[in-house]
Amino acid sequence: MTGKEKLLAALKEKGIKYIFGYTGGTIMPVFDEMDKTKDFQFIMSRHEQGATFMAQGLSRASLSTDNPQLGACMATSGPGAMNLTTGVADAHMDSVPMLIVTGQVATGVIATDAFQESDVVGVMMPICKQTYMPLHADEIESTIHEAHYVATTGRGGPVLVDIPKDVQNESVSPQYRFDVKGYRPVLPGYLYHPTPDREPLDRAIKMINKSVRPLIFCGHGVINSNAGKLLQQFAEKVNIPIAFTMHGLSALPSDHPLSLGMMGMHGTVEANKAVMEADLLIAFGMRFDDRVTGKLNEYAANADVIHVEIDPSEIDKNVATSVAINADVLRTLRVLVDDPLLTYKPRRRWFKQIDEHRKVMKKELQAEIDTGVGDTGTLLMKTIVDRLSKLTKGKDLIVPDVGQHQMMAARFYSYQTENSWFSSGGAGTMGCSLPMAIGVKLARPQERVWSISGDGGFQMNIQELGTVMEHNIDIKMLLFNNGYLGMVRQWQTLFFDGRYSGTPMQNPDYGFIAQAYKIPYLKVEEVKDIAPALKKAIKQKGPILIEFVCDPTEVILPMIPSGGGFNDMIVTRPPKEKSASKKKRKVSKS
Amino acid sequence: MKRRAILAFMLDRPGVLNKVSMLIRKKMYNVDTLTVCSSRVPGISRMTITLQEDDIAKVTQVIKQLEKFTEVISAKELDTQKSYWREAAIVKLEVDREHLTAFNGRYNFEILEKKGKDVQIVQIAGSTVQIDTFLDEVGRENIIEIARTGVAAMEK
Ligand SMILES: Cc1ncc(C[n+]2csc(CCOP(=O)(O)OP(=O)(O)O)c2C)c(N)n1
Ligand SMILES: [Mg+2]
Repeated sequence: MTGKEKLLAALKEKGIKYIFGYTGGTIMPVFDEMDKTKDFQFIMSRHEQGATFMAQGLSRASLSTDNPQLGACMATSGPGAMNLTTGVADAHMDSVPMLIVTGQVATGVIATDAFQESDVVGVMMPICKQTYMPLHADEIESTIHEAHYVATTGRGGPVLVDIPKDVQNESVSPQYRFDVKGYRPVLPGYLYHPTPDREPLDRAIKMINKSVRPLIFCGHGVINSNAGKLLQQFAEKVNIPIAFTMHGLSALPSDHPLSLGMMGMHGTVEANKAVMEADLLIAFGMRFDDRVTGKLNEYAANADVIHVEIDPSEIDKNVATSVAINADVLRTLRVLVDDPLLTYKPRRRWFKQIDEHRKVMKKELQAEIDTGVGDTGTLLMKTIVDRLSKLTKGKDLIVPDVGQHQMMAARFYSYQTENSWFSSGGAGTMGCSLPMAIGVKLARPQERVWSISGDGGFQMNIQELGTVMEHNIDIKMLLFNNGYLGMVRQWQTLFFDGRYSGTPMQNPDYGFIAQAYKIPYLKVEEVKDIAPALKKAIKQKGPILIEFVCDPTEVILPMIPSGGGFNDMIVTRPPKEKSASKKKRKVSKS
Repeated sequence: MKRRAILAFMLDRPGVLNKVSMLIRKKMYNVDTLTVCSSRVPGISRMTITLQEDDIAKVTQVIKQLEKFTEVISAKELDTQKSYWREAAIVKLEVDREHLTAFNGRYNFEILEKKGKDVQIVQIAGSTVQIDTFLDEVGRENIIEIARTGVAAMEK
């Protein structure tokens, strides 16, 4: 047996069915072998970055199913591997398990600047949870098993295995043995502490019972440990409202009476005000990112903090805790839900206070949604998302790109299905949506998947329409075309006196693009056509692209300016832009 | 700023030192010295890092980030009062022998070699402060070349 055979055997053993990637010189032996075994479905992306987001989609969407799969991607050395980096860094920021296998130049020429040689391990080290370079065929199988273990346990993350070409082809030594079933990784330094200690739990319980204005934070860790239902039970048991981080969305139904929606930079008024007024924050599986906290020295000044988190290095990193619980969210909630000392409290005054905050902006937002068009007479993104939410009853899977449309999708879709929101958060990588939606669809073929992109981001991985076409991947692609890098434009409106530097763009005729890829296409310019177009997409078997002509002056509010505190929250719309009514936007005809 | 020492034990795997130095750069820690050597157990290295930091929360972060590396088995801060910190240095000095004899008994040093009439190569060991004051007294303007090991530290 050779290294490449051992590699594929180990991948198969670990339940990997899909391999996303792109071939090239140094990975050809593995591709050749893969074709012989027929054990995998290979999905060729049109750019290696696409493969990384497909793998992310598969990992993320499948983790809540009966068959969790580790997203795996494969690429050649040098440029192939370098094209993976953005998606790998994104997975690292968002704690997404992923396995990356790259071919490397042969050991004999490593470090000679050989053709297509890059120091892949060196480049990937800071953006991976772990990196490996097996130098003998005998090491490959155990490396893959260890890599799988590291990627999928504790706080998940991408793991790289860089295999020199000669090692792929090398035969294992005659005395080589590997006990697949009995294998246990030997990692004396690996931090994995899933079970909560009793002592901090006891202190947490006392603190919760004592608190008058407590608030639960639901982070990505709740989704990653499949703890949404338990969190809901816990919140109901103690009657405490819940604010979500962006990655915590869809852990439990958005319209649950205790839900305050998303918090942070583009969070709801009620969530952010509640954070300011709370006397206790109970944070589950999150890392107090600056988009969540704003200015740290003003953050939740009057609150004690209970922090439940699997990664100990996140505890006390940005926000000082009163009680630190280094453990898996699910296991911690199991204990809390059954604890007899925790009691229900009506908290009438606290909820009354929160209900007041819920009223702020509510009327204005509803009026905008109902009107459906903005100052330029073109469609509002929030209206489209609202209609989509109603038509699908909030049950579908949503994969946004990065920008205003992403925040609209976070705020105005009412998530009813656990683990149904897949977004690039920590890195905020434009272009993620289209390839990620492909991975999501492969993980959950029975469910409907909507990819929502802006005109900027859609063009960043537009080539993956080729992948959609080739495999007839049934994703519904919504393109919110506002002719601008909208999110940056919004900052320019609010903080740069409306100087739109580097944000307007000329768009291609998306109808022709869809046609070129043999993908059905619709264009929507009127409010009345939104629902029929979405219905058509639902009926349609197979992929479809719907372009919506959107208002570039629409803003997503509230907004806490970058570096600002919660007191700086902007809740009123900027004045109508002078040019808005005059300059009717040019829309390409098709 | 307060000088602190962190002692870590880690698997002797390729890339560990790389990871530690990248961490120092990424998090912009103010590191003075970093020494690595083998430990009593084969395959496990011992690393001592000294840095300047008043904020205990930052030091705790360094330790947590180090512990996060799969290869790192343990990391902790050494209490200044309860540990020995020692360095060694080799110094090439432009002084005559008599100048050095004045320091006999007060510093733990040894003349390794005499080059010409007034160039001496001296080895000295002790605490960082001892080495610093020795160099001050000998006269820093007389130093031609100096090699310091960085701090090795151990709990009492
Ligand atoms: C790869 C990448 N480059 C740049 C940015 C900075 N950025 C964040 S949002 C945004 C605008 C996105 O525009 P578009 O895709 O049209 O979406 P919209 O905001 O208009 O909905 C930009 C440029 C980014 N997040 N990712
Ligand atoms: Mg746009």
